[in-house]
Amino acid sequence: MTKFLSFISRTYVTLVFCIVFMPMAIILVISFSADSYLSFPPSGWSLKWYGTVLGNTSFMQGFRNSAIIAVIVAALSLALGLPAAYALVRLDFPGRALIRSLVIAPLVLPAMMLGLGILMVFTPAGLVATYPGLVLAHLVMTLPFSIRILQTSLSNLGTDVDEAAMTLGARPLQVFMQITLPRLTPGVIASSAIALILSFDEIVLSLFIVGPRLQTLPVALYRYVDERTDPMVAVLAVLMIALSLAIVLVVERSVGFAKAFGR
Amino acid sequence: MSLASTPAHIRIDKLTFDYGGERPAVDTLSFDIAKGEFIGLLGPSGCGKSTTLRMVAGLLAPTSGQIIMGGEDIVSRPPWERNLGLVFQSYALFPHMTVAQNVAFGLRLRKVGKEESAARVAEALRAVRLEGFGNRRPAELSGGQQQRVAIARAIVIEPEILLLDEPLSNLDARLRDEMRFEIRDIQSRTGITTLFVTHDQQEALTMCDRIAVMNGGKLEQIGTPVEIYDKPATPFVAGFIGRANSVPATLSLGTGGPRLDHEGQALPAPDLQELPADAGDGAKLAAMVRPHAIQLSRPDGDGLTARVNRSVFVGSVIEVELELAGGQKLVAELRPGSEEAQLAQPGADVALTWRTTDMRIFAA
Repeated sequence: MTKFLSFISRTYVTLVFCIVFMPMAIILVISFSADSYLSFPPSGWSLKWYGTVLGNTSFMQGFRNSAIIAVIVAALSLALGLPAAYALVRLDFPGRALIRSLVIAPLVLPAMMLGLGILMVFTPAGLVATYPGLVLAHLVMTLPFSIRILQTSLSNLGTDVDEAAMTLGARPLQVFMQITLPRLTPGVIASSAIALILSFDEIVLSLFIVGPRLQTLPVALYRYVDERTDPMVAVLAVLMIALSLAIVLVVERSVGFAKAFGR
Repeated sequence: MSLASTPAHIRIDKLTFDYGGERPAVDTLSFDIAKGEFIGLLGPSGCGKSTTLRMVAGLLAPTSGQIIMGGEDIVSRPPWERNLGLVFQSYALFPHMTVAQNVAFGLRLRKVGKEESAARVAEALRAVRLEGFGNRRPAELSGGQQQRVAIARAIVIEPEILLLDEPLSNLDARLRDEMRFEIRDIQSRTGITTLFVTHDQQEALTMCDRIAVMNGGKLEQIGTPVEIYDKPATPFVAGFIGRANSVPATLSLGTGGPRLDHEGQALPAPDLQELPADAGDGAKLAAMVRPHAIQLSRPDGDGLTARVNRSVFVGSVIEVELELAGGQKLVAELRPGSEEAQLAQPGADVALTWRTTDMRIFAA
């Protein structure tokens, strides 16, 4: 009976993994296609589409923009998220519970609505199709994640160690810089990585506020797919997956993902 | 008591912490700590002992009252200006620093020079028997070793007072016994005034110069371990420290001196001095007697008649459950092999007495 159950559960897990990873596997295969349209399985193999992608100015420009925005968003997410998380965990002030719940509101609201709202505010402010505009819009998406992750890490640290430092003569800022922050490193790395990936892959909000002057990679890809379907799309998808995977691996290697999320 | 008569080093004066519950967590607590004294705050969980320690540490602001240290009220001083050492149950070491860096932390903040700091760190590590562990990380040490690093870190700054918050609770039983003596030994050698919070009466009795017993936010009694054990001031202290039997009794003040009766039978004659001040003729009282003070004799002898319910050999003593005529149950501890032990056969009738000096009398 247990043997049968274990067979069932193994089959089930395999099935779920197939559903999740099959599309990615197909895309990976197609990216090495020699055909000039999307077909599976490809009739021939080549690396030519990788070359085409790397020579495509629209994509390369988009990649550059997305990378710059993602790095700035990740840095700002941390700079803004850490004090917020600290206040929400360590300080006691009226309305703390309310703010705690409101922080995750952007995750619950439909992205379309957010995008529309952002567009209506950004247009008169002249922020559409600018770096600051895109960074601000992405922050709306990434900050809730950063704050949540840092909040969890901070509450897992407890207060004993900080209090011990305080009684030994450390002032609050010294405690934070010399004791709290070093112990928070895994959370800092994890939240930054998440913000980086989220911003780099963000499309819904970006669609509202990009323009011909400034386009992100996901938007460029989306627009391209609208008109044409050739293996270049698959190549781009593979490259984006690879980048996200690389970031995840760096986190895993440096602090361990489970630890980074405070388990 | 020589210690109690020396001038107070730290004075806790009407200290109160009220967070708006049913009753204050700490209620007008007052006591003195002499220089170099090792004082225990003992009580069940929720009695306010940890709250008191946190107020002394400056981690919690009292609702009212004073903490006088060196002739000055330190209540408004932040923890980093109080010069104290705090050791937590969780050790609370800095995991990203080596043992030596942990111990040197307080010295670094005090801008102590490199050489002097190194010498004092080495001395502190020697005091806790951790020479040569300076370059290890806390995670590489056992629980007992981590606890000793925490103590070294706290004593190296030569604090006005060392605060120990249940420091032994996370250690296993054998290590706990060892550390008990070790902490006391370190304290004696360094002479640092120490406030030790514990819920374990054994720890308090074996380690402390004096014990402050707390219950429900209030101080029940403060005294040496012997005073607390032999002369409990309240029924709570009597029941909390060691085991105690309580026998309900009625007082009669006849011509032959005071007399206590339980269900019509006389208890050993009480000492007039020991009676509660307001106890008059006919007052309902409770006589407290320790299990080892109860003496058994043949049923035709003097004393309360009782029946033996159970008799259990627990190694060093025989524990006997006795039932008085009215149904009141008592526990006695007898020496194995003694004549009394022979009498304690289940179902047998016996007579119970104890010495007047072994009896404490409280208002019922």
